Amino acid sequence: MSRKFAVALALGASAIVATGFSVPLVAAQKTGQQAANFTLTDANGKSVSLSQFRGKTVVLEWHNPGCPFVQKHYDSGNMQRTQAAARKQGVVWLTINSGAKGKQGDITAKQARALVAQQKARSSHYLFDRTGKVGKLYAARTTPHMYIINAKGILVYQGGIDSIPSARVDDIKKARNHVTGALNEIASGKAVSVKRSRPYGCSVKYAS
Amino acid sequence: MTDFPTARFRLLSGQIKAVIWAVIAMLAIAPFASATAQVGGFGGVEPNINARFVAESDTPKAGETVNLALLMTPKPTWHGYWINPGDAGIPTTLDWTVPEGVSVGELRYPVPETLIIAGIMNYVYEGEYALLLPVTLSEDLAPGTVLPLSVKAEWLACTDEVCVPENQTLNFTLTVGDGAIDDARKGRFDAWRGNLPAPLGSEAQYSVSGETVRIAIPLPNSVELEDVYFFSETDGIIDYSAPQKLMRGDDMLIIETGAYGAGEGVMQGVLRIGEHRGLSLTAKDAGEAAFAGFADGASDILGNGKGGADLALGESSLTIFFIAFGGAVLGGLLLNIFPCVFPILSLKAISLAKAGGAASEARRDALAYTAGIILFCLLLGGAMLGLRALGAEIGWGFQLQDPRIIFVLLILFTGIALNLAGLFEFGTVSVGNDLANKGGAQGAFWTGALAALVATPCSAPFMAGAMGAAILLPPAAGLLIFVGLGLGLALPFLLLGFIPALRKMMPKPGAWMDKFRKIMAVPMFFSVLALIWLLGQQIGNDGLLLALAGALSFALFLWWYGVRQRGGSVRSWLPVAPAFAAALAALLLLPLGGAVSGSVGVSSNETLASEPFSYDTLASLRSDGRPVFAYFTADWCITCKANEATALQRTATADAFAAADVTVLKGDWTRQDAEITRYLEEHGRSGVPLYVYYAPGGEPQILPQVLTVDTLTALVS
Repeated sequence: MSRKFAVALALGASAIVATGFSVPLVAAQKTGQQAANFTLTDANGKSVSLSQFRGKTVVLEWHNPGCPFVQKHYDSGNMQRTQAAARKQGVVWLTINSGAKGKQGDITAKQARALVAQQKARSSHYLFDRTGKVGKLYAARTTPHMYIINAKGILVYQGGIDSIPSARVDDIKKARNHVTGALNEIASGKAVSVKRSRPYGCSVKYAS
Repeated sequence: MTDFPTARFRLLSGQIKAVIWAVIAMLAIAPFASATAQVGGFGGVEPNINARFVAESDTPKAGETVNLALLMTPKPTWHGYWINPGDAGIPTTLDWTVPEGVSVGELRYPVPETLIIAGIMNYVYEGEYALLLPVTLSEDLAPGTVLPLSVKAEWLACTDEVCVPENQTLNFTLTVGDGAIDDARKGRFDAWRGNLPAPLGSEAQYSVSGETVRIAIPLPNSVELEDVYFFSETDGIIDYSAPQKLMRGDDMLIIETGAYGAGEGVMQGVLRIGEHRGLSLTAKDAGEAAFAGFADGASDILGNGKGGADLALGESSLTIFFIAFGGAVLGGLLLNIFPCVFPILSLKAISLAKAGGAASEARRDALAYTAGIILFCLLLGGAMLGLRALGAEIGWGFQLQDPRIIFVLLILFTGIALNLAGLFEFGTVSVGNDLANKGGAQGAFWTGALAALVATPCSAPFMAGAMGAAILLPPAAGLLIFVGLGLGLALPFLLLGFIPALRKMMPKPGAWMDKFRKIMAVPMFFSVLALIWLLGQQIGNDGLLLALAGALSFALFLWWYGVRQRGGSVRSWLPVAPAFAAALAALLLLPLGGAVSGSVGVSSNETLASEPFSYDTLASLRSDGRPVFAYFTADWCITCKANEATALQRTATADAFAAADVTVLKGDWTRQDAEITRYLEEHGRSGVPLYVYYAPGGEPQILPQVLTVDTLTALVS
């Protein structure tokens, strides 16, 4: 009895240790809920808001040109094919660079335009988020990290570009492209079957 | 030291490389062509993490398993990733090509480190690390056979700024031989093995409730923990970058952190408990996110007095709650016959019986008594949960077993026992009479409160399970568990109040009541005895003497008080002040450090004498033809501690072993001693407990994981 008794007291006075860390990502956007609006400037100096695309499906793609995982999907042409198929369905594609000034992947608007042209990227806008505000609003962790928002403004997918987390180009054809999969389901009026997956790649190069 | 120039060169080249990468990153577009060259193969380019294989034995024996180490050496500022890389990154993969007769096991990762970069959590290794994997050779392989092994290894190397996926095809050979291991290599492998997490052995549980995940890990309270962090191997349950809050109690470590997704199924992970030390564990999903909905529902019940009809709850979560709640009610019910409560309750029950005629009065008293108990249980439960929350906010590390609390209870119990014995009376009316005569809802209410208070020390045995749930559940639901305890405690009385037939069965009050009350002092005194023992365990002999001196003074002053009461003194209460002063003085002087640091959680007295385990000791005892019993334990191993308490550290066992002249060897694996690790591996175990008996000249006999005194004594008889 006495041991348990002590335990009861121990419970009453449980030792507590709080382990602190530096600022974590703020609350993520929830799948199935209204996606938060944001406004960013694109590579042409134009101001772009998520809300202006209400009525259309929107894809968000987190991007860092220096990241080998992003390169895996661009150098192989996989990302461009995914973008082209999406645009063909009337989908708006926003490529967002949340890299802070001086970090890997920090490019000027001019460099961005050149990059888009060189890679034949098919995104609707290349957006800059140097403060990382939008990236943290969406809890974007990796490049690439993909989000799909439906015509009603509801977040219907967040996660990786595909199902095999690797840097190997060979894996692209073996993997399920979650974005193409979800967009096809939306186009045929079906519910998105994979709503969430594990994003993989380099960490987003936030300022802090 | 001889490597100095090379090391120097590597360091420089690492720095240059980092600078080059930073420049490349700034230029942004330029690297596209060049960076791809980094992906896949190294055409003469040195990788950022150098990988190579080392075998524990280059000449492993056929039919046996040899350990291989994939030795990863990151350049300065670079890091590699754990099996779960965290928020970003990828794990290491190996693609093997091996000849027939060779089979390769799973990679084993050492305990990783956390690395937060701009809010993104990475589970990494900085500095050299070794991934171990077992390779088993078939028995058919002839000695001298050369086995060429080839592996394509892929991993991600990163700095805080950039990441480079790297791969290398590593070729090496093993030659089937005698399995000899040279000493230097043995030392290196022992060190690497020491960095692997040890299997905890007991199953943990987790529960997702809204944005919060709680993980309950069985771990004795006495285990010292440093740098505690839970690395989840399973993705999609915890938010890696969220801070982790720790709570300990009831031989349980609770980790509270942010949830990532709904989370379901089994979660695997590693609990870091010190530098490069960890425990690998599996946590089952105990209750789902529905607990969160339950919390809201529970507060509704408490707040609005509404029923739980509109609770949006999964059936299974309700079941879990009701099991905990039911356990609490049952525990409360059983408490009634415990020495802490029975004396008070029985007297009150008799008083109810006396009020026999007025049914409405009996009902009112029963309700007031129930209210008193439940409110007090809520108060205690709330204080407990509140302390936790408060401690969490202010980072207050409270001593787990505070002797002061035990002392206060000791004084309280002494007072009640002396009162029951008739040494003095509360106020001017005797307690017995007070309880029996005063009646009234108020009296009943306070009796209930008192019953709840004195019941606390006895409540733990029945509450152990429910308490665990109370901690895991959100506060409102946790509080409801305490309501259950109160309800159970009040149940017999409620029944008495509402069923006249039961009241009729109660004996008629009379002169016997005074005698009965005095007899009831006996169990109370025994409760005091238990408290004294407990206090002695915590603060040692000298501290106990001080505490008992305080309690004795308290008792003597109360005695004097009683004499004055009977004598009809005008200010008979005067000695009460010095009584409490004596108790307070003792409380203030009470040593807190404690003579027995092992505290109550672990039996510190070794009934079964033992010597520390070593191969040499074992071998010399065996060659002397002595029987040997070897047991392997760790402070964090609940199963081990349970076996020691119930079977090993028993007089019957110790006597039987002594009679048979058995030498007991104890292997303490708390810090993963390398020699013991090897012994465990040789016996096909990855962790403790392990019990082995060596009869003189006989084969070693491995005993079951759960021991009894009979199993042990049968060994030597």
